[in-house]
Amino acid sequence: MRNSTIHRIAPVLTALLALSPAIKADEPSPTGDRLSALEQKILVIERNQELKEESAAAAAKSVPKISITDRGFALTSADGANSIKLRGLAQLDSRVFFGDNGASPNAFVLRRARIIAEGTFAKNFSFQLVPEFGGNSVSILDANLGVAINPALGFKIGKLKSPVGLELLQSDSWTFFNERSIVTNLVPNRDLGIQAGGSVLNGILNYSAGVFGGVPDGGSSNNSDFDNEKDFVGRVYATPFKNDSDSPLAGFSLGVSASFGREKTAAGLTGGYKTDGQQTFFKYASTTISDGQSWRISPQLDYRHGPFGLIGEYVVSTVNVRPGATGVKAGLQNKAWQVATGYVLTGENSSYNGVVPKSNFDPVNGTWGAFEITARYANLKIDDDAFPLYASAATNADEASSIGFGLNWYLAKAVAFKFDYYQTRFGFAPGAPAVSNSPSLRQNEKALITRFQVSF
Amino acid sequence: MKSIHLLAVLLSLAIAAGASARTIELLNVSYDPTRELYEEFNVAFAKYWKAKTGDDVTIKQSHGGSGKQARSVIDGLPADVVTLALAADIDAIVTHARLINPDWQHHFRQNSSPYTSTIVFLVRKGNPRKIKDWDDLVKPGVSVITPNPKTSGGARWNFLAAWAYARKHTGGEEGARKFVAELFQNVPVLDSGARGSTTTFVQRGIGDVLLAWENEAFLALKEFGNDKFEIIVPSLSILAEPPVAVVDKVAKKKGTTAVASAYLEYLYSDEGQDIAGKNVYRPISPAAQAKYASTFPKLDLVTIDRDFGGWTKAQATYFADDGVFDQIYLKK
Repeated sequence: MRNSTIHRIAPVLTALLALSPAIKADEPSPTGDRLSALEQKILVIERNQELKEESAAAAAKSVPKISITDRGFALTSADGANSIKLRGLAQLDSRVFFGDNGASPNAFVLRRARIIAEGTFAKNFSFQLVPEFGGNSVSILDANLGVAINPALGFKIGKLKSPVGLELLQSDSWTFFNERSIVTNLVPNRDLGIQAGGSVLNGILNYSAGVFGGVPDGGSSNNSDFDNEKDFVGRVYATPFKNDSDSPLAGFSLGVSASFGREKTAAGLTGGYKTDGQQTFFKYASTTISDGQSWRISPQLDYRHGPFGLIGEYVVSTVNVRPGATGVKAGLQNKAWQVATGYVLTGENSSYNGVVPKSNFDPVNGTWGAFEITARYANLKIDDDAFPLYASAATNADEASSIGFGLNWYLAKAVAFKFDYYQTRFGFAPGAPAVSNSPSLRQNEKALITRFQVSF
Repeated sequence: MKSIHLLAVLLSLAIAAGASARTIELLNVSYDPTRELYEEFNVAFAKYWKAKTGDDVTIKQSHGGSGKQARSVIDGLPADVVTLALAADIDAIVTHARLINPDWQHHFRQNSSPYTSTIVFLVRKGNPRKIKDWDDLVKPGVSVITPNPKTSGGARWNFLAAWAYARKHTGGEEGARKFVAELFQNVPVLDSGARGSTTTFVQRGIGDVLLAWENEAFLALKEFGNDKFEIIVPSLSILAEPPVAVVDKVAKKKGTTAVASAYLEYLYSDEGQDIAGKNVYRPISPAAQAKYASTFPKLDLVTIDRDFGGWTKAQATYFADDGVFDQIYLKK
């Protein structure tokens, strides 16, 4: 900002100069000299002010930046090469079950409580450390180091999400529903390993490929490998019309992921497949062990167009099992699929990375945030050969089909209420008793899960 | 475990493949008025290096007041080479950051100064204030434009040239001190670098005389026309010896030591010397000196070593905190 005095003086000076026709450059006069001196003084004041501003701007460039937004707290070095960012996620759930005679507990649950620390060093090196304080115990969810070579090639080493499930790879904060669909039961969660990945063809094609310790369906590593075998995991994911922003297909993505490995011991088997209400509906017998090849394949798609969003994925998971150390070996193939959709009633864009309200909840000013309605259908089918040798037909379902409806109210980018109603119907294997021995499977699961979420 | 080892080998190969495809990039951190010189020289060197090695090299330039640029390197600006206005600024990098070998001045010929320059006056056309020599600058009402000696190498040469003139004509240090103090009484604006001072004088229309690098004064004539400005050569000035050095630790870390050394060495080549002369830096090779002899006026030049005891002493005496300049200027 220039000195306001200058602006007041300048027009006066200009007028004086204009009113001095008798003064010629080659005929110095006392009046002309005074005007020139005055003009010089003004120019000097202006220039010194300009230099002061330049100096302040240069100094600002060398000062580290502090950023506090609804995306977290960040400290960044002046050159942007080093940064540390703190984010957080807290989800408090209310679970209410209808018509199950108390088989499933109506409860408040601290579903997730995380402090997310991320950072970059020397521009090309990054880290992520995420402890989980929600649930029943404290654990390290993610702990990994990233090395960026160029956009087409980078590496992640440590504990991270295994790149198989579409919905699993989405942030916990931004899925259409409070709970991911039953399909996620069949894909690995966090695992220890090394992963290469990048983006090619002008960002149209993303790929990931890695070697991991290997975890069972729906499982996460407990920070050490449970056997000597490794899983190879890969995923390719394309957004073919990404660079054609006018195309209605600009937000269409599709891909396929797969894993292949060998697992041994009971630790190679799922700890249980869960319903939307987080009740276990299938679990292998405690004597059953994993012994041999396991593989998964998952075609998947995501489509976003304005306020409309849709995801779909299909997973086949195969595991070789024995009923004990010496029993008959069998390859079991479990399958699941889902289609989920959402529509933002208030017009904001649907996004894989969450809905950003055009205006935050502020009743004084008459703004209410963003509202999104959602719907989902999902099915998971257990291999018929699992019963009765490897799992009990009396205490397990062999199929779960779930339908869900939801309303998400985004009060701000960081704060949301989510209301979901799920209804899950169970199927049973031949030979199962007319009434399941598991109380929670004796009727359809009807669950209302309400969530208050803070995510920044 | 075999698979892990195999993967490690593949990853190493991938990284190695990426590294071999990398373009060689140098950062030349220089002082204010050398922009045009190095723009031309960089093109010539890249062509020379490509022909010699087959490698592509791109050179990025950074310009500012010489002292300020040295400070930036000390603070972490990853320069492969520095081409600054005076040796004291490179010495500062040696002392404060230990990024350059202390014997850097022996790395290249002529104390690592591949070209020289001097300080002249640029005045407005017709020289309305009739400025002919240094003693005209201390007259009442004469407005003198020079950058800040605390941040600009050119300004320190200006200061010392004025000091040398006054010492010669007043007979001692006290007289020189009084003279230079009076001169700075006439300085209304202190830019941080020489190019900024040129802007103040030429574009903002401030001041009666600009104390300028010789090449900067010629550039102003070339860009803004002989009808607007003219150069006045004082009776005495100073031989400015802008030095160059490889920033050893940075270059070693980046793997650019060889190309950085070759880059600076090329300044001494026939082509490098010719480009220096063309950009009105005084070349040191006899051939280029002969070719550009008519460009450079002959004048009495003092030197930093003979007349001021070298840059280390001059820096400590005149430009360090609480040195002579601070005493003179803060009084103002």
